[in-house]
Amino acid sequence: MIVCVAVVGHQNNPLYLESFTGGDDALKLHHIVHCSLDVIDERVNNPKRSASTLNETFLGLLYPTENYKVYGYLTNTKVKLIMVTTDLDVKDADVRSFFRKFHAAYVDAVSNPFHVPGKKITSNSFSERVGTIVKSFGHSMSL
Amino acid sequence: MEPDVSIETSRQIRVAILPIGGPIPPSYLREYTSLIARHTRVDLASIASFYTEQQKSPFAHQPWDTGSLSFKFVLGDCSASPWEDFQPCRKVLAVLGICHLPSSSPDLDSVSDQFVSACRPYGSALATRCFAFCPSDAQLAEKKREDIVLLASADRQAMELHMLTLVQELAASLLMEFEKWVLRAESTGTILKTPLDSQSSLGSEEVIKAKKRRLGRAQKTIGDYCLLAGSPADANAHYSTAIELARLTGDVFWHAGALEGSVCALLVDRVGQQDPAMEDEVKYRYYTVIQLYRRAFLQDNAQRVSTVSFELEATLKLARYLCRREHSKEVSDLLMGAADGAKSLIDATDRLILFIEIARLFGSLGYRRKAAFFSRQVSQLYSQQENVSAAMSALQVLALTTDVYRVQSRKNKKKEQEPSTNPPQSIVSLFESHWSTIQMVVLREILMSSIRAGDPLSAWGAGARLLRSFYPLITPAGQSGLASSLSNAADRLPDGTRCADPCLPFIRLHSFPLHPSQNDMIKRNPAKKEWWTGSAPTGPFIYTPFTKSSSSTGNAAKDQIITWIVGEPVQVLVELANPCSFELVVESIYLSVHCRNFDAFPVTVTLPPNTSKTVLLSGIPTEPGPVNIPGCIVHCFGVITEHLFKEVDNLLLGAAQGLVLSDPFRTCGSGKVRNVTFPSNIAVIPSLPLLFSNLVGGAGANVLYEGEIRDITVNLTNVGTSPVEEVNVSVSGKNLDSVIRVDNEKLGTVLPLKPGGEVSFTVTLKAWQLGVADTDSDARRVSREGSSPYLVIHYAGPVGSNPEEPLPPGRRLVVPLNICVVQGLRFVQARLLSMEIPARFAQQHSSTEPGPDSVKTLVKIDPYKGSWGLRLLELELSNRTDVVFDLTVSIEADDTAYHKTRIDRDYSARVLIPLEHFKLPVLDEISSKPELNASISALINKIKVRWHSGRNSHGELIVKEAVQQALQGAVLDILLPDPLTFGFRVEKGGDPIRACEVTALEAVIRNNTKETIRLSLSVNCKDVAGENCCEGHDATVLWAGVLNNIPLEVPPLKEVVHSFSFYFLVPGDYSLQASAVIIDAIDLLRARARSTLPDEPIFCRGSPFHVQVIGTT
Repeated sequence: MIVCVAVVGHQNNPLYLESFTGGDDALKLHHIVHCSLDVIDERVNNPKRSASTLNETFLGLLYPTENYKVYGYLTNTKVKLIMVTTDLDVKDADVRSFFRKFHAAYVDAVSNPFHVPGKKITSNSFSERVGTIVKSFGHSMSL
Repeated sequence: MEPDVSIETSRQIRVAILPIGGPIPPSYLREYTSLIARHTRVDLASIASFYTEQQKSPFAHQPWDTGSLSFKFVLGDCSASPWEDFQPCRKVLAVLGICHLPSSSPDLDSVSDQFVSACRPYGSALATRCFAFCPSDAQLAEKKREDIVLLASADRQAMELHMLTLVQELAASLLMEFEKWVLRAESTGTILKTPLDSQSSLGSEEVIKAKKRRLGRAQKTIGDYCLLAGSPADANAHYSTAIELARLTGDVFWHAGALEGSVCALLVDRVGQQDPAMEDEVKYRYYTVIQLYRRAFLQDNAQRVSTVSFELEATLKLARYLCRREHSKEVSDLLMGAADGAKSLIDATDRLILFIEIARLFGSLGYRRKAAFFSRQVSQLYSQQENVSAAMSALQVLALTTDVYRVQSRKNKKKEQEPSTNPPQSIVSLFESHWSTIQMVVLREILMSSIRAGDPLSAWGAGARLLRSFYPLITPAGQSGLASSLSNAADRLPDGTRCADPCLPFIRLHSFPLHPSQNDMIKRNPAKKEWWTGSAPTGPFIYTPFTKSSSSTGNAAKDQIITWIVGEPVQVLVELANPCSFELVVESIYLSVHCRNFDAFPVTVTLPPNTSKTVLLSGIPTEPGPVNIPGCIVHCFGVITEHLFKEVDNLLLGAAQGLVLSDPFRTCGSGKVRNVTFPSNIAVIPSLPLLFSNLVGGAGANVLYEGEIRDITVNLTNVGTSPVEEVNVSVSGKNLDSVIRVDNEKLGTVLPLKPGGEVSFTVTLKAWQLGVADTDSDARRVSREGSSPYLVIHYAGPVGSNPEEPLPPGRRLVVPLNICVVQGLRFVQARLLSMEIPARFAQQHSSTEPGPDSVKTLVKIDPYKGSWGLRLLELELSNRTDVVFDLTVSIEADDTAYHKTRIDRDYSARVLIPLEHFKLPVLDEISSKPELNASISALINKIKVRWHSGRNSHGELIVKEAVQQALQGAVLDILLPDPLTFGFRVEKGGDPIRACEVTALEAVIRNNTKETIRLSLSVNCKDVAGENCCEGHDATVLWAGVLNNIPLEVPPLKEVVHSFSFYFLVPGDYSLQASAVIIDAIDLLRARARSTLPDEPIFCRGSPFHVQVIGTT
């Protein structure tokens, strides 16, 4: 189950952070997302120069922590998409497809002419869409 | 668990340093321990001289050339660990006492006793030394003692050398002790226990196994001592045996220990070599170690004792070994695994150490956020301990994390930004400030722990940061709570405490009002006497398009140079905002100046909730030089802070882009985004004179009637601090005519005008005439803005003695002469009247001298001409004011006072102005129009209509235009004389003319032209009925001589007399009139006569002369 998804801007500023646990662990999730930026920063600053990974946006498992696994995705505008899940064995392909959808949703949200780049994403339709993607991730796992 | 573990920990000889003989002052303690603690590595080669081989050394392969001993110095108490037998590196193997003799008892014996008793808890110590510093001369003189080493005070270098020798000697004796220990262990065996096997050793059936285990454990321990003795080869040999035995006996825990030791031996052996193969070996062995420790975990005694800490220590050791970028993922996994293991740690201190180590390792890996996260965990663990020092530790650890979370105190931020003050840094910090949830938690924790630690300044700083940065996210109750905790913290601080972190209010630069005197500085042009010309806009416009265009391009505010003057107050407007829901009392606020040449004046402000206020801050520059004002100093909530304009500008910039939480000014209702940057280059120049003007008798508007003339006195005071040496007064603006005279001669005589000096001069004003629009408007007082003239006073102080220096600037003072003109007498109309008064043929007329009683009349009768065709100008005036006007008419160059005409309020009156006096003496051609115009205006200017009203109001009626209009057309008639003047006189003057007597008369004809005129003269006489008396059948006058068609020739400007006689038959009134036809008139005469046809006769006629003929009886 995905507990949290986040969009972090290219200056490491959070643009969107949504938790799906319904519990009172927002601070913990904030910390997890914040800490994952360390790993992303490292990957961004020391990219592996092989041809196959040059255009790779999916960063894979960033780090495991306690009961969570944190996955990352880096767009070409250096916007980071982060997903925190409790599922211990996740297929890479599932995560990839999740991020692709999430990315598409993000692109649509920032294409809104009323969105100010660099500002937090407050669009309700974006939240709804992300919620749907998150739910469908759970489904595909169970299938 | 122990802090700071690494693989190499196993070879470190632990030495306890104990202060002896009472507490040592911290600075000395620091100095002494630093002297000792720098010797963590002692080469074997260097201790050879202290080493004596008593028996054959068990360390057969000791590398005397390359090897070294490693020390770990521990200051203060270190309690014995139950795991000492397992890892001898945990043992305190030596005790060093340090004693600061001046602060301890002078008796060295007591020091020695104290040292012995202090050493007693350290049973494992193989060597003890007591160093006594700073001995007195008496103590030095005593017999040399074995138990205390006295270190006489010397310079640092000598002390270091001395200490090196002592440590080498200690190392040698320890080495010999290790040898002894190993020899004894090899020969007699040793009993080694760990908390793990205190109970299992009782097992009866495992006795043989236990014996083998004991052997293996002994081998492992001997290996450990070899390692401590700096002989990795020997250690390795023993470890190999131990590993074999432990594997055979299933002694998992000791197996792991031996394996760990072997890795250390490997590293010591190959010190300085870094090849991937060895790295893999180390990794492989350590993963095995970790596995073994995990297997050693016994569920049954997990409550009492646990091997988890060894597992975690091993993990940390490996992580530290691998801690480089290329292994970051592996290290991260190891550390996250270790963090997960924290839950199984029983001891809270172990957990604390674990998190500290994890945070440190993440930090050195470059994972700053994770390091901060674990630091926060550490601080939470500290906070769980209910004591002050733990709270202080928590506070310090949290302070380390503030950098990552971007909530650091400005105090630290400054240091960080000093090397590269690049603006992107601040922008990035704006972006990261979005992690508000975390940031607020961190700040709140800092606040709580600093309260617990009793550090009010940190508490204040944290509270201030929390309130300033996150007020929009804090409830009103929370805001008030923070405010009160700020006040509580301030209560515990001394007065005047400064804090690096600003709290409320938000302050931005509003504007920069320039005092006119600051604008009116003019660069002096040394080449010109009138130095002010051309250097600055001297016109009435402060705005000129040229200066504007140059300043509006680019960084206008930055390029603008502002000049302040020493001793003259300056003002800056700032806007304060209190976006919180409590009333904010700013005890004082003043401009912050980092240079010393400015005195700022504090003000007190109270800001109600959610309001902003604009405050005028002022100050006085005290010395010449540049001034930089980066912000304001604020005394609020009991603490003094500096608020920088730049920071708020950044904040507002971020708010404008939606990147920060809120714009405090907008929430306070002051939304206009002004981008006022403080001019970076304000120059203070030496003091200049400063004139202050005061208009005596009316600082406000002078209310004058049209044409009123009034003197006003301008008082100038030098309120500056240097003398005025040059003054020039000029008049500028509109209605310049109204300033008749500026009596500024007096100014020159009083120069130089000392500071405080005063001078006054008179300006004579004459009110101008109101225009049509002004008179039409209903307002009786019409004072149009800008219609008044003003005095421009340029002045300057002394010129510096050094000609190289630039001239100090001059200044300009503008004194507006506020004139409010009201309508006085209203001009209704002007008419030109003609009157014909016959000249009296009387004796006095024959004389050209005016009689004594003719003085008082305006109408002066020409003796020849009479007053035939007298023209009068009639002015009709009405008085709509509420005062009475007295009018007098005068002709220039005639200061005779005539009768006054009084015009009461609401009445009209007429004034007559005779125009007789303006005739030119000669009828000459007025050739050019300018000449004519000049004559006309000369004529008009001669007419003055002065008025008086009340006691001191007087003026002149402005009637020029009216007169000109009235005279239009008739002006030539007025100006030019007739070509001929006719007059009559009695040949023998004196007697009245009687009837029935022959009276000899003369007709006098005067030629007023410059040409000779030929004419034909006729004289006739009429009675009162107008009948001709000389001709006809009933003539009443008999005559002799010629009366008609008398040909005469009059030379230019000369008179010709024609004589004849009359015999009046009847007494009565007669009038004589002469007339002439000019023969061959020249063009001038034709023009004067306005004849149209070229051959028309020109006819001239004199004015009638009145003759009274009296009877004979």
